[in-house]
Amino acid sequence: MLTKGKEYDVIIIGGGATGAGTARDCALRGLSVLLVERYDFTAGATGRNHGLLHSGARYAVTDRESATECIKENMILRRVARHCVEETGGLFITLPEDDLGYQKLFVESCEAAGIRAEVIDPELARRLEPSVNPTLTGAVKVPDGAIDPFRLTTANVVDATMHGADVLTYHEVTGLIRNGDRIQGVCLTDVRTGARSEARGRLVINAGGIWGAGIAAKAGVTVNMFPAKGSLLIFGHRINNLVINRCRKPANADILVPGDTICLIGTTSDRVPYDQIDHMTVTPEEVDILMSEGAKLAPSLAHTRILRAYAGVRPLVTSDDDPSGRSISRGIVCLDHATRDGLEGFITITGGKLMTYRLMAEWATDLAMRKLGESDPGCVTADKPLPGSEPAEVKKEKKRLKGWNRRKSHVIELSTEQLAAEGRHGTMSRKIDTRDAASEALVCECEQVSVGEVNYAIDELHVHNLLNLRRRTRLGMGTCQGQLCACRGAGLLAKAGACADAALADLGWFINERWKGMSPVAWGETIKEVQLMSWLYEGVGGLTEGRRQKMDAMADKGEQDAEPAAKTEEKE
Amino acid sequence: MKFDTIIIGGGLSGMTAGITLARAGQRVAVFSTGQSALQFSSGSMELLGQLDGQNVERPTEAYDSLPAGHPYRRIGKAKWLDLLGRVQPMLSEAGINTIGDSSRNRWRLTPLGKLKPAWLTLDDFATFTSPGKLPWRSVALVNITDFIDFYPQFLAPTLERRGVKCRQESVTIPRLEKLRQSSTEMRAPTVARLLDDDAIRQIAGRLNVIARDVDALIMPAVVGLRDDHQLTLLRRLIVKPVYFVTTMSASVPGIRIQMQLDAYFKKLGGTLFPGDTIVRAEMCGDRIQAVYSVNHGDEPLEAENYVLASGSFFGNGLVALTDRIVEPVFGLDVDAPGARAEWYKPDLYDAQPFMSYGVRSDDSFRPSASGKTILNLYAVGSILGGCNPIKEGCGAGVAMLTAMAAADRILE
Repeated sequence: MLTKGKEYDVIIIGGGATGAGTARDCALRGLSVLLVERYDFTAGATGRNHGLLHSGARYAVTDRESATECIKENMILRRVARHCVEETGGLFITLPEDDLGYQKLFVESCEAAGIRAEVIDPELARRLEPSVNPTLTGAVKVPDGAIDPFRLTTANVVDATMHGADVLTYHEVTGLIRNGDRIQGVCLTDVRTGARSEARGRLVINAGGIWGAGIAAKAGVTVNMFPAKGSLLIFGHRINNLVINRCRKPANADILVPGDTICLIGTTSDRVPYDQIDHMTVTPEEVDILMSEGAKLAPSLAHTRILRAYAGVRPLVTSDDDPSGRSISRGIVCLDHATRDGLEGFITITGGKLMTYRLMAEWATDLAMRKLGESDPGCVTADKPLPGSEPAEVKKEKKRLKGWNRRKSHVIELSTEQLAAEGRHGTMSRKIDTRDAASEALVCECEQVSVGEVNYAIDELHVHNLLNLRRRTRLGMGTCQGQLCACRGAGLLAKAGACADAALADLGWFINERWKGMSPVAWGETIKEVQLMSWLYEGVGGLTEGRRQKMDAMADKGEQDAEPAAKTEEKE
Repeated sequence: MKFDTIIIGGGLSGMTAGITLARAGQRVAVFSTGQSALQFSSGSMELLGQLDGQNVERPTEAYDSLPAGHPYRRIGKAKWLDLLGRVQPMLSEAGINTIGDSSRNRWRLTPLGKLKPAWLTLDDFATFTSPGKLPWRSVALVNITDFIDFYPQFLAPTLERRGVKCRQESVTIPRLEKLRQSSTEMRAPTVARLLDDDAIRQIAGRLNVIARDVDALIMPAVVGLRDDHQLTLLRRLIVKPVYFVTTMSASVPGIRIQMQLDAYFKKLGGTLFPGDTIVRAEMCGDRIQAVYSVNHGDEPLEAENYVLASGSFFGNGLVALTDRIVEPVFGLDVDAPGARAEWYKPDLYDAQPFMSYGVRSDDSFRPSASGKTILNLYAVGSILGGCNPIKEGCGAGVAMLTAMAAADRILE
């Protein structure tokens, strides 16, 4: 919510990991904060990547600076975001078609960047990771892992609000309030209702990712961005436990990352026109490349069901003309537009990677503190765990669990859905109502999401629609892609106060959005699922009629217009 | 094993063919892999619900507007009209009582509170003669306590907009309370399994209290998994009419229809092989000599005629590979483009091309392989293609009428 008439210390634009992280850091250092996001948290590149907890090894040879940043942040996130991280470890494998000589350069570069890289025997690699291509000729073990960007961003938002930040989703910055050579706030449009408003702040921080170029333009300054599209495929099973990379110069489809119950192959890298960044689609050619290259890392991918395809746009900052964008540094760019462009009250934080979001937030907040002339208590985000990742207090835990399962005195362990919720929300999961059967009823069977968890997300995690709910809880991300749970979710949203027509329009759109990620891979089991999904929602439920009705203001009209970028979709 | 006719697929289409042939005295076997679209039935069967995006009021009058390749057109109008009259009696012989007729669609209340045209509907489901006027002044929407697959929140606005006062209630009984303790068990078929005569009597008391000051009760379809015994009992015990709305997950009325068709088929002397899949055929010239199944291995399953009622993609009748669509049992010719980008449209609610794909067949619905018609094989139901069951609301009609047409050919 926006506090009317308040002048914030900082207004942060962008609800990705960087914006959320910056909001948290600023709030922790005592600033009054407004975080604004055009659609939903993680709607941009944050939610459309590999979910890879980079060791930095991938950049060790080509981009030392990024590699060093990655490994440092990797170690920090393991501590402060443990409920978002899975410490899997990773392999860099050499295949017969690759030059084994590269391995030496790779290992030396890793060591120089501070990344532990251990050459292991191919036989050992096959034993550590049975899914790996058995013809590999070399393997290096590195501290890669998996990270859930949805949980990570949510936890940052939760902590920011706990420290007084105001948060507005579905509000687009349509202009900046400029007074001479000073930015004094933002003009906002509610994308659902079209209502306009203003928010004033002493400093505006542009953390809009690739969209940051457009935001800068609205302030009258230029940030040259290189929109590099990356496509990925999500598989319905988790075939690998270690991250598998190719030990060669970064190229297409050479990283296979496990995450929760699935695994992800990616990416491609192609420059796209800036005016197309809201309309990413995954082409059949990209799907074919991802499949064929992916099967080289792990042959069983060739007959593993693909759940969906999606694409994100990397916010690379550039001046040169590299067609793929692979050679551009993934380094952080923090611009003070006062010194750069003579425009006061406006800074841009961009470049970087999901891995370095915390460091980006730190840099941006350091600069903000200096510019605002506040006394800086210093950054604590490298040590202070995110909500959900606090160390468990064993005694309290035991007591809580006892209470939790009082109803089921015969049950000693947590139920599957309780475990799943704990995995998703860490220690925050204790806020989920598990007191009675009604709250424990399962809404999403694939991902074990209970009524209690859905209601917790609706109450506390800025959920207005099914898409928000999916990103907060994983509802609809499993093998059935929302077929059985989407209508249950819509039912719960309607129960929680959404008007029935809006909830149904949202349901119709949510199903369509699921389809957009499924259509590029619609063969085999996926086309069967789609046929059933159409049958259920349009045939049995009659949703076509809902789609034809004019959507009312609550139904996220804005999102329908713009998130068909979700023809692509996101990491799940 | 030898039969007069072997039917591949035990859904609505396969069972209709089986019943028609068995009733005429044939020795018939049905091989059914498992689930069919019936498991997700709405409780209604559709003949023709929409044409060019418009709701169809009178299906028989709309016949001439159908495109030439539509299975109905290929049956021929006179034959089609003749078959229409045979459906309801066949269903009722199987114990499936429906209301509706083919000259005028009724309107079905969907689980999401929409109104859709319907042809034949189980007689205890909520349907209306017009989408604007409903026969009640007040209803109670009665859910089973904490059953999350029934949405009074979506049904009420639709009814209220049409002047019906809605009250939301819920009922439970001890055995449902016990079921509720397990987070995954509260699903329609499980509830239906628990609602035996005793349970129905317990619930009826509570329902009668609710029913006092309303015209009717509307409930989720969680009664009567096997037959309509409990339904009849419930209706006898409740002082007001009770209407059901199907659930979006596994459909109790669909399972019941399947069980009743299966039982009737067996009663007529048919042989049902549930859970068995026909995997390949042995040809002799233009004719099928025998087929082979997973469970019967190398034992040839022989018949004079064969009926392919294996469904579309969902039933595995068609299989989409990355670069083509195939019919897996006989390798039949399929009418579908090779480039998968042409199979679908970006908006799910557009008419999806893949929904109308099917095997190529002659006027008697005999499909071909490598351009040569197989003389003793008939394709029926959704594997025929040539129509979009979702956009046209014609799935059940195509399933039953093409099955009857093919069965008649076989009997000729």
